[in-house]
Amino acid sequence: MPAQNPKQGAERSVPPPSGAEIVVQNVTMQFRRAKDEAASLKELIVRSLRGGNRYELFRALDHISFTVEKGEVVGVIGTNGSGKSTLLKIISGALLPTSGKVWVDRSKVQLLTLGTGFDPELTGRENVYLNGAIIGYTKQYIDQKYEEIVRFAELEGFMEEKVRNYSSGMISRLGFAIATARDAPEILILDEVLSVGDLFFRQKSEARIREMIHAGSTVLIVSHTPAVIRKNCTKAVWIEKGRLQAVGAPEEVCTAYEKMREP
Amino acid sequence: MNHFQQRRQFTFVIQQLTARELKRKYARSYLGVVWSILNPLLSMAVLSLIFSQLFRRSIENYPIYYLTGYILWQAFTGSTTSAMTALVDNKPLLLKVKFPMEIFILTRVYTALINLGYSLAAYVIMLAVFRVAPKWAMLLSPLIVLCLFLFSLGLSFMLAAAYVFFGDVRHLYSVVLTLWMYCSAIFYPAEQLKGFIYLVIQNNPIYVYIHCLRKAVLYGTLPNGTEFLQMLLWGAGMLALGYAVFHRSRNRMMQKL
Repeated sequence: MPAQNPKQGAERSVPPPSGAEIVVQNVTMQFRRAKDEAASLKELIVRSLRGGNRYELFRALDHISFTVEKGEVVGVIGTNGSGKSTLLKIISGALLPTSGKVWVDRSKVQLLTLGTGFDPELTGRENVYLNGAIIGYTKQYIDQKYEEIVRFAELEGFMEEKVRNYSSGMISRLGFAIATARDAPEILILDEVLSVGDLFFRQKSEARIREMIHAGSTVLIVSHTPAVIRKNCTKAVWIEKGRLQAVGAPEEVCTAYEKMREP
Repeated sequence: MNHFQQRRQFTFVIQQLTARELKRKYARSYLGVVWSILNPLLSMAVLSLIFSQLFRRSIENYPIYYLTGYILWQAFTGSTTSAMTALVDNKPLLLKVKFPMEIFILTRVYTALINLGYSLAAYVIMLAVFRVAPKWAMLLSPLIVLCLFLFSLGLSFMLAAAYVFFGDVRHLYSVVLTLWMYCSAIFYPAEQLKGFIYLVIQNNPIYVYIHCLRKAVLYGTLPNGTEFLQMLLWGAGMLALGYAVFHRSRNRMMQKL
């Protein structure tokens, strides 16, 4: 296995034993949250002196287990604050779970989120190179794919302009184009990206995702809109308040989810 | 990816991030990077105007004396203050990057080092203007800068980790820097001080770096054994300490971010 991602001191990413792409086993994530958070140094000192730093344990994820097989498109659904993002951070290796295990080869993972991390003071072109470098493209690769990225994002003629003058739609298009420029990342994680952009771009990006799925990518889509999950996924995982509510066919899981939301 | 490719990619990422920092820094100015050269010169002109009369007896070449201290001090404050916010500023990129998150701190300190490079261009010109003859001891300056770099990097690790948890660190640090600056004898002769404060200055790592560079440039003398040891130990020690602190709080930082 290539020696990759020594990131965040996380356990070495190990490919799952069974042949599945991602195995999440009994993952629990606990945050220690101060009862009323000491947001300043002064508060912290005052409070430690009084000996009263009271914490409460907040369980963002509670014994979550599921597997994602190769080539599956799995949707993770849940309301805001249900623990979806925490789960993503654990899968991508940014966070270590309090207990439990995740098996995934992190060198294959490509994460696509809405907060693209573009620098508003740089031009579109500069941002393509910066972001490309960050997510692991070599310079030659970006040189080679540059035209294609611009074309897909429909930003011809805007690339020398600073990103601060872009509309939010343009930014997310460019973000999507960069992240999917790789021929077929083996594992693609999409965090709420399919619910943005105008209708045409959404169709185009869904088509692109489908292309990747055909090419053999394993995809994990995180969303709070059932429509996205229904349309794209082969399997759905529903998480609510950190607990696993259901795993199964998208249709059933989404129906159950919608029922919960209706009072 | 094999080892070689990984190294290349690492260099590419650093290069991209640094280019971005430099572009950002002067994003809205006309003169751009020329400011890195102009800034120390203007500051030198101002301080020389005010103080060179005052310190005429104790410092023979006041402009160079001041400029030497000033550019090192600027490199130090520039790197630590910008690196302090590196993690918070790069939050969206933290999740994506395939390298350890230290890379963002390293980049900010490295950027300050490049800025120091520009300032050194101004410095060399001024050395010529004030007829400071080249000396063999000057060859030591890269080592001094390297030690300063290590020291700044170590402190930056600690500041960046602290800043994730407490935004106040920034304000506190700016006060500390003011105090620190007055204890670094940048624009006055350290020899005139006595007692406790003199002791503080003697053991202030930044002063040691400045002092050694001044000695080399102005008098062509090498640092003595103690100073050598101080330079190296401060640099290596701070880096080791900073890295250890950073490493230990890594998971908690990610939770907070």
